[in-house]
Formats: sequence, C-alpha cells, structure tokens
Amino acid sequence: MSLPAADVPSDEMRLIVRAKSGDAAALEELGAFCRKLAYVLALQLTGNREDAADLAQDTMLRFFRSLRRFDPRRPVRPWLYRIVRNLARDRLRRARVRRASSLEELTEARGNDLPAAGPGPEATASRWQLQSVVWRAVQELPVHYREVLVLRDYHGLAYAEIARILRLPRGTVMSRLHRGRLMVRQAVHASMQTGLAGEEAADA
Amino acid sequence: MRDRCPMGFDERLITAFLDGELTQADEQKVRLHLERCPHCRALYEDLRRIRNAAMTTGLPVPSDEEWDERPRTGASLTFRLLGWWLAIPWVIFVLGYALWEAWRGSQGAIVRIMTFGGIAAGALLLLSALLDRLRDLKTDRYRRIMK
Repeated sequence: MSLPAADVPSDEMRLIVRAKSGDAAALEELGAFCRKLAYVLALQLTGNREDAADLAQDTMLRFFRSLRRFDPRRPVRPWLYRIVRNLARDRLRRARVRRASSLEELTEARGNDLPAAGPGPEATASRWQLQSVVWRAVQELPVHYREVLVLRDYHGLAYAEIARILRLPRGTVMSRLHRGRLMVRQAVHASMQTGLAGEEAADA
Repeated sequence: MRDRCPMGFDERLITAFLDGELTQADEQKVRLHLERCPHCRALYEDLRRIRNAAMTTGLPVPSDEEWDERPRTGASLTFRLLGWWLAIPWVIFVLGYALWEAWRGSQGAIVRIMTFGGIAAGALLLLSALLDRLRDLKTDRYRRIMK
C-alpha cells in the first residue's frame, strides 16, 4: 500500500512524525482531521449518522492503536479509509436492515433553503434535486459498487489509490465503477420520469 | 434507453475517460468514438452530470462538542437513557409527595423514596459514565485526543 514519499504532503508527514513521538497538540490535530474524514466516508457507506459516528469512533481507536507502526512516508488517507471500509463492511454484514437516510434528512435543508450559487435559484434547486436522487441511488447500490463509487466520486481518489485501499486489480475498480454509475444513471432516469409523470398528473 | 453501444464499443472506457484515467491513445480512441456515437455521447453526458452532482454534495460533520457528548457504547447509552427516565419521574414524584407530606406533617415515607429512588437513578447514570470511561481507558492516545 506504499506510495513514494514525494506523494505525501510534507505537512502531513511532519504531523504524523510529531504525533508518533507523543506530541499532544499533534495528536489532537491529527485526531480531529482524521475523525472528520472517517465520519464522512462512514456516512457515505452506511447512509446514517448514528452508524457513521460509531464507525468513526471505532476507526479512531484502531487508528491510534496502530499509529506507532505506521510509516509517516505513506499517505494517511488510504490507511484510514481502509480501516473505515473494513469496519463498515463488518457492520453492514451484521445489520439485518440498513437504515439509509435521505440527503434532506442528513443536511436538514431543502434545495430552496440553499444559498443561491452560480446561475440562479432554479439551477441551484435542480442541482440539489439531482444530488438528492444520486445520493439515494448510491445508497441503494450493492456495497461493492457503492464503496468504489464513493471513493471515486465523493472523495476524488484515483483508480490506483482505490485499488490499493480495496485490494482489487485496477481493472476491477474500473468495471465496478462503471457498473455502479450505470445503476445510478438508471435510478436517476427512473426518478426523473416519475417526477415528470407526477408533475403532469398534478397539472391535469 | 438502450443498454449497450450499438457499435459494440467498450463503455467502461467512457467512465475511465471521464475520470482522466486513460492513456493518450485510448483517450483519442474514446474522443473519436464520442464524435460518431450519439448513444455513448448521451451516456458520457449523463455520467458527467451524475459525477458532478456527487462531487459537489456536502455533508455536515458533528462539532467537537457533539463528539465529546456522545455515549461511547450502546450499553452506556441504554443505561443513561434508563437512568434519566427513572430520575425525571422520580424527581416529580418526590417533589409532589414532599409537598403532600409537608402539608400532612409526616416525613417517614419521603426518606424511603428518596433513598431507594435516588440510589437507583444515580447508580444507572454512574454506570453509564463508568462504561464510557472504561472504554476510553483501552488506549491512552485515544483518550488524550477525545478529551
């Protein structure tokens, strides 16, 4: 899972070195930073806040337990994401029913409440609607498609990084990502058609 | 909506093209194909919109205070809730009863209720906090970060 030292930001490397030596401020900074990352990924994988918070806490326990063995020349994210993903897989396997929240529930905001950015309120509302439909579709994907899509589209990781985190061949990452995106596309189309049919019925 | 490219093109390359993960030669191949194939052009546009929607989705993260207030385990949360559910009606009942007894001039029953009810509610809340502390003690580093 190693990357060349040059790929690791020097700030991150320094922070890890300080944290490993027991520097309380560095530990605190690293903990706060990683906890946020872990929480967001856990939320994207599980779909609900309670599970995500539990997973983030468990991830941080494992993270600090093995920090002493961690090589600071390696990037921290793949290591952290791998812990989150493994814990999320365990939890999802144990759970009989998965409770995925909608984007509205998670952000407690509607398209109309969001600040108007870009072309105008209509575009903002339409973007929000699409984000919401995509989120729901991603939450309904089988987990092996969801984790690839989340790491690529929500976290912007390269295929090689995803392959390292999930321990998959790069080609499998590409296939799963494509298949997952096709499923999301299908769900978006179905949702848009339902929306249009509903609007037409309301107008009639 | 047709599922496959009518020209039999490998559509996975469109996903990789979108993500900038292709070699120059493959990129050129996809570009040329997109110019000639409306099916794949529509697919590319849809995937681009979906990816942009995902990339711009922001999610709220709990504040540091919220993290500190979280019960660490399910058992500690259960005990804490149970403790509060016992404590609140107990306080209401004791206050009501105390008023009633004060009006009547007797104090024996109040002392009994205060002793047993108070001990039960306090013990559950204490147990909840104790479970959290025990869990924190498992790793020194984590405890320093969380506090």
